[in-house]
Order: sequence, then structure tokens, then C-alpha cells
Amino acid sequence: MKPPATLTRAAATRLLAERLTTEVVVSNLGQASLDLQQIADRPLNCYTYGSMGQCSSIALGIALARPDVRVVCLDGDGSLLMNLGSLCTIATEAPRNYALVIWDNEVHETTGGQPTATAARSNLAAIARGAGVEKALEVRTEEELRRAYDRILREDGPFVVNVKVATGRAEGRLDRDVVGHARRFKRALAELPVR
Amino acid sequence: MADPSWSKHVADILRRNDIRTFATVPDYVVTHVLEHLWADPECRVVTVTREEEGVGLLSGAWLAGRRGALLMQNSGLGNCANALASLNVAGQIPIVLVISHRGDLGEFNPAQVPMGQATGPVLDALAIRWVKPSSLAELEAQADGLIKLAYTRSLPVAFVLPAELTGGKQG
Repeated sequence: MKPPATLTRAAATRLLAERLTTEVVVSNLGQASLDLQQIADRPLNCYTYGSMGQCSSIALGIALARPDVRVVCLDGDGSLLMNLGSLCTIATEAPRNYALVIWDNEVHETTGGQPTATAARSNLAAIARGAGVEKALEVRTEEELRRAYDRILREDGPFVVNVKVATGRAEGRLDRDVVGHARRFKRALAELPVR
Repeated sequence: MADPSWSKHVADILRRNDIRTFATVPDYVVTHVLEHLWADPECRVVTVTREEEGVGLLSGAWLAGRRGALLMQNSGLGNCANALASLNVAGQIPIVLVISHRGDLGEFNPAQVPMGQATGPVLDALAIRWVKPSSLAELEAQADGLIKLAYTRSLPVAFVLPAELTGGKQG
């Protein structure tokens, strides 16, 4: 039996938000974006609302286009499982400014909590290593998460950090201004001077 | 007979419209275009594992200020329909699709035909403006205007490249 996850997605999002300065954060559709909007809405957040599975690829495109900016992607286990090939592309392109953080609650939370493959035998950090991402971590405690954040915000990546989080839906409603948020993000990133 | 310079024309059209970031799942036909892009140190070509990954990647690149084009076979259009709809059309994120058209005139593989025949209707259903130039003259007459429209509307556009233009793939 695996120990139950004690970290919550909201607490893990809050710990990241405390550390953010000029990083880009790309968040997965549903719960990851809702938590991020409610805890730390900012123009350099890139929310996604559809295209399930594509969050890590969108973040990769940003990281390749702006190698001077650190890009943190907040994906979900169900969504990443839909686009596992993305891990191979991340490993091949190997952007140093890229970190993929996975909220792995082992269920499809947004659709009602149906178990994903990580509830059974699949391990996303091991899959990432198999894809060729050397810095692939699994995190279960707040202390481990703090250390992981310190690394992804300072060290060269690419990183994959699989965070085991408890199930549970965020309160409130997502602001679904899809076009407005995309434009706000594009403008904010364009205004960030190239270093 | 297809003019073998078609692939250089396509590569030049993309580059003269400030597109330097490319994603691809290669096929026999678009590889002729890719060879020009791979040889150009100013171009970044990312080979993805599935076409919709390219849609995500190029959408991210556009949000970060770079124009992108996805080179693929029409089978790949089927693989990325939802991403094009829910990311690019809903979010008004432009992307240029360069699609080699299998499953139409001269096709030898029955498995290619259904998606080949569905290519135009799928693009139409997504409100993606597309052209299908059957000669170099048509290609050159339409290309800059189509790409300009993509960024004016802030929506995807598609070049469907038929065997009449490219020579296709001979079985």
C-alpha cells in the first residue's frame, strides 16, 4: 500500500507563488488553473482552458522561444498521461529554463475523481527518466517540495517534478476569459526585457 | 509533372513571412520542405511525437512572440483537431499549417483515402481558412495573402499541398 498524499494542491501552489518573480507559469485546464488564479493571479500566468494534454507542450514552446525566462508548467497526471510523448520532446530539446511540475492526485479530478494509471502502477517520474529527463524527482512532503522549488528556480533544467497531492476540488469558479488572458500574458511576456 | 522546386518555394514563403519556428511529424512529402529548413541555421525545427504536440508548442511560441508553422501529413490534422479547436480557434492563437495531401488524386493506399477526403471538411468545420494550390503559380499567388490573413484574424490557416503540386508519393 502506498501512503496517502498529505500535500494539497493549493498549499503546493501557494509555496510556489511565494517564490515567483519574473517566471512564466503555465497551468493546466481545470483545477491547476483555478488554484493558480485564486492564489496568485498575475499577467505572467498562462492559463489553459482546453486542449487537454497540451499544457506541457505550450510551456515548452514558450521556453524555447524565450530561453532567458524560466518557465514552470503546472500539469496534471491525467493530462500528462494524454501526451506522454511530450516528455520525449522535452528531453530531446532539453531547455535549461524549463520545469514541468505535475500535480499527481491519481485521479481525473475535474471530471469526478475517476482513477488514472498513476493510481495503479504507473510512475510519472520514472517515465520522465525513461524519456531522457535526468532531473526527474518525486515529491511527497512539504520539505521535499520546498527543496524541489529551490532547485527548479535556480538550477539548469529541464526538470520534471512529480508532486503527489491529495484529491480535492478547489472552491470557486474559473475566470474563463480565454482570449483576454492569452493577450494579457502575451503582452506581459513581450514587455519583459530580454536578458 | 510537378516542378521539383515546389519545396524551396514553400520554405521561402514561410521564411519571408517571418516564420522561423517549426514543428513537424515528417512524411515523405513535407520532408522536402524540411530539408531547406534544417539547412537554415536561423530556423528551429522541433520534431514532435504527435502532431497536436506541435500545435501546443507553436501556440506557446506565438504567445512568446514567435510565428510558427506545423508541417505534417493530413493524417496529422486528424490527430490535432481538438487542440486546434480548443486552443487556437477558441483562444485566437494563429498558426500556419502546411499539410501534405494524401488520399486524393493518385493515391495507392486505401487507408489514406478517408482522412484525405475529410481534410477539407475538417478544416471547414473548424473555420480554418485554407488553400489548395495545384501549381507553383497558384501557390505564389495565394501564399503571402493566406499567411497575412492568419495574423490579421489571429486564427490558424492551412496550406493543403496536393500531389499535383508536390508529385505526391508514388506507391
